[in-house]
Amino acid sequence: MLDRLLGILRAGGIHTPDRLASQLGVSEQLVDQMLADLSRMGYLRSISSATCHALPDGETGACADCALAGTCSVGEPDGNVWALTQKAFR
Amino acid sequence: MSTVSAPRVRTPLIGGGHCATPNDGVRTTNAHEGTTPTGERVITVALAGQPNVGKSTVFNMLTGLSQHVGNWPGKTIEQKTGTYRYNGTSVQLVDLPGTYSLTANSPEEQIARDFIIKEHPDVVIAIVNAATLERSLYLLSELVWLPVPVVLGLNMVDVAEREGYRVESHVLEAALGLPVVPIIATRNQGIRELVEAVDALVRDPLRYAPRRPEIREDHRAVLDEIELLIAGYVPPPYPSDWVALKLLEGDVEITRLIQTHLPSERWEQVHNILRQHEDAILAVAGGRYEWIGRMMRAAVEQPRVGQVTLTDRLDRVATHPFLGLLVLTGILALVFWLTYTIATPMQSWLDAYVVQGGAELVRQMLSGAPPWIVGLLADGVIGGAGTVITFLPILVIFFAILGLLEDVGYMARAAYVMDRFMHAMGLHGKSFLPLFLGFGCNVPAVAGARIIDSPRARLLTIQLAPLVPCTARMAVVAFLTPAFFGRGAALVAWGLVLLNLIILALVGIVANRLAFRGTHAAFIMELPLYHIPNRRTIGMFVWQNTTAFLRKAGSIILVVSVIVWALSAFPGPGLENSVIGQLGQLMKPVGQLMGLDWQPMVALVTSFVAKENAIATLGVLYGEGEEAAGLGETMAASVPPAAALAFLAVTMLFIPCAATLATIRQETGGWRWAVFNVGLLLAISFGVGILIYQSAALIGWGV
Repeated sequence: MLDRLLGILRAGGIHTPDRLASQLGVSEQLVDQMLADLSRMGYLRSISSATCHALPDGETGACADCALAGTCSVGEPDGNVWALTQKAFR
Repeated sequence: MSTVSAPRVRTPLIGGGHCATPNDGVRTTNAHEGTTPTGERVITVALAGQPNVGKSTVFNMLTGLSQHVGNWPGKTIEQKTGTYRYNGTSVQLVDLPGTYSLTANSPEEQIARDFIIKEHPDVVIAIVNAATLERSLYLLSELVWLPVPVVLGLNMVDVAEREGYRVESHVLEAALGLPVVPIIATRNQGIRELVEAVDALVRDPLRYAPRRPEIREDHRAVLDEIELLIAGYVPPPYPSDWVALKLLEGDVEITRLIQTHLPSERWEQVHNILRQHEDAILAVAGGRYEWIGRMMRAAVEQPRVGQVTLTDRLDRVATHPFLGLLVLTGILALVFWLTYTIATPMQSWLDAYVVQGGAELVRQMLSGAPPWIVGLLADGVIGGAGTVITFLPILVIFFAILGLLEDVGYMARAAYVMDRFMHAMGLHGKSFLPLFLGFGCNVPAVAGARIIDSPRARLLTIQLAPLVPCTARMAVVAFLTPAFFGRGAALVAWGLVLLNLIILALVGIVANRLAFRGTHAAFIMELPLYHIPNRRTIGMFVWQNTTAFLRKAGSIILVVSVIVWALSAFPGPGLENSVIGQLGQLMKPVGQLMGLDWQPMVALVTSFVAKENAIATLGVLYGEGEEAAGLGETMAASVPPAAALAFLAVTMLFIPCAATLATIRQETGGWRWAVFNVGLLLAISFGVGILIYQSAALIGWGV
C-alpha cells in the first residue's frame, strides 16, 4: 500500500489526501498516517518551512512584508503541503 | 481503589489460527506479579492508545479516585497510575502517553515503548477508536510485536455505527488473534467485559496468538539474515525478532544498542546489509499497512458512499481542471469589479477633498512662506504620499475580499487548479508553489524557490517569480485603471493579470524545455473544508494589511515623494529644467515608442524602491500646476488610452522592487542573476508595452 502511494506520487502532479485515499481504497486518515510515515522516512518533506520561512532574518522570514502572510495556508509553520524528496526517486 | 464486580460470563475464547510468530516471547509470569500481604494477586496493566481515542475515560472509569499523578522519570510528561480490583486480583493500571506509533520519534513514543519492553506489564490494553479504526490499528500493528499480550478495547462503537461503520468485533478478534472488546467508555458500556478479558488473558496467556504484520516478501530473507547475525547478542529484555525489525527500520536507539553489543566484525556485516537495504523501512511500514488493510477488509463494513458533503459538491467544480479555472478567473474578475464599484467613488472623494483640498488649504495658509516650502508640502508631501493614501478604500475592499476567499477556504483551491493549469502548460509543478506565493509578495516567491532541488530549475523559478503580479502592483493598477478606463476598468485589470500569467506561462514553457526536461514533481496539498467566514479574522487581515500600508506610506513613500519633488523642483526654473525633467528627457525616446511622455517613465523608475511610489511620483509630477483636478482626471486628459494600456502593462511586468532584487541576489549568491533579471524584465515589459501601443496605432485605436 505504501509502495502504491509512493508510485502514484512518483508519477507527479498535485494530489489531495482525499483523492489519494479514494485511489488507494483506504480512509483519508490512513493516508495522513502514511504521509506522516513517508515524511519521517525522508521520502516527503513539508515545504511550508522551506518557503515562507526560508530567509534567516528572524521569525517572520521571507513573508515579513507579504500582504497575504497572515492567512496564507502555505505559509503556516505546520502547513499541510508536502513534496517528494530526491530519496523517493532513488 | 475502584472495584469491579465479578463477571458472570467468561470472555469468549480467542480464535487461534496461524500467525507470523505465534506467542514468541510472551512471558507467562511478570516481574511485577506478586501478592499483597492479604494474599491478593497483584498485576500491572498498561493502557495504550492514540490521542483522542477515549483512553483517559477508560482509565478514569477503571481507577475512579485511586489515581496517582506524577511525571515519567526524567521527563516532564504526565504519568497517571491507579488501581482496581477484580476477581481477587489487584490491578495496577499505568496510563501510557497517547502515541500514534512506537517508533521512538517523540518522548511520548519512547516512554510507551520503554515501559512495555523494560517494565513488562502483564497485559497491554490498547484502546482504539472504532470510527477511525484504520488509523488506530497502526499502533496495534506495532504493539503486537512486543512481548506483552494485548487486549483491544474497541471504543466509540456507537459513533462508528452512526457514521455508517459496522465493525464485526468477533471477526476482528479472529483476524487479529487477540481479545477484542467493544466498549462505549463515556457510557461505561463494555468496561466490565474489558476487565474480564484482561483477567482471562493473565490467567491463561497461552491463548494469546496474535497475527502480526509481516515485512514485505522481498525483504523477508534480509530480516532472517539479520536475526541470525544478532542472535545471542541482543541484551535482555529486548526480543531479538523485534530488534531485527527495528534495525531494518533504521531505529536510531536500537541501532546504537546493537552496535555496542555486537563484536565489531559482526556489526560490520549487519551494517553492510542495512546499507544495502536502506529502502527496507518501506518494506517494514508497508507490511503494517497491508496488515491493516487485511483487518479492515475482514471485519469492517465501510459506510456506503452517498453522503456527499457541501465541500465535496463545491470542489467538484472548484477543483475541476477546466471549470476550476473558469471559477478562478471569474472570481478574479469579481474581485476587481467589486473593488472598483465600491471603492473608486470613495477614492475619488478622498482625492478631491483630502488631496486637492488639503493642498489648496496649505497654499492658502502658507501664502507668505517661501515658494519651495509651499511646493514641498502641497506638491511633495500631499501630492505624493497623500495621493497614495487615497488608495485606502481600494486596499480595504481588495484585502477584505482576499481575506474572505482565504477564510472560506477557497485560496487553497486556487493553488490546486493553478498547479494543474501549469502542468498542462508544461511548467514544472514544483515551481508553482513559490510562484503562487508571489501573488502576496515577490520576496517569499523568490525565497520559496529553495524547495526546488535542482539548482538550474531553482534559478529559472527565481527568474520567473517577479512576473507574478504582487498585491502592491495590483494596488497601483487598481488605482490607475478606473482613471483611464472608467466602466471598463474591471475588464482591463482582469486582462492585465491574465496577460502577466500568460507571459509567465510562456517564459515558463521555455524554462521547462531548458531546465526540467519533462521531469515530474508531486505535491500533496490538504484542502481545508469550506466554512463560514469569521468577521474578526477578515477584520484582522484587513487591519494588519492597511496599517502596514499606512506605515509604508508614512515612511518610504513619503521620503521618495519628497525626493521626487525636490528633483522635480531644482534647479529649475520649471519641471522641464529640473533634474528629474532631464532624466525624463533621456527616457523619452523609449516612452515615445509606447506613446508615453516622460512623467510615467520617471514613475516607473521610482517604483523600483516600492511599487506604490509610481502613484506618489505621478501625483507629484502631474500635480504641478494642476490645482483643480485630481491625479486620475489629469492623467486621463494627458495620456491617450493606448498609451495608458501600455503603461499599465509595463507597470505589471516591470523590474522587481528593491527588496525582491536583494532577495534574488541573496538566493543566487551574487549580483549576476539579479542584474540578469532586471534586464529580462526590462526587455519583456518594454517589449509588451511597445507591442500594445504600436498594435493600437496600427488599427487606429486610442492613440
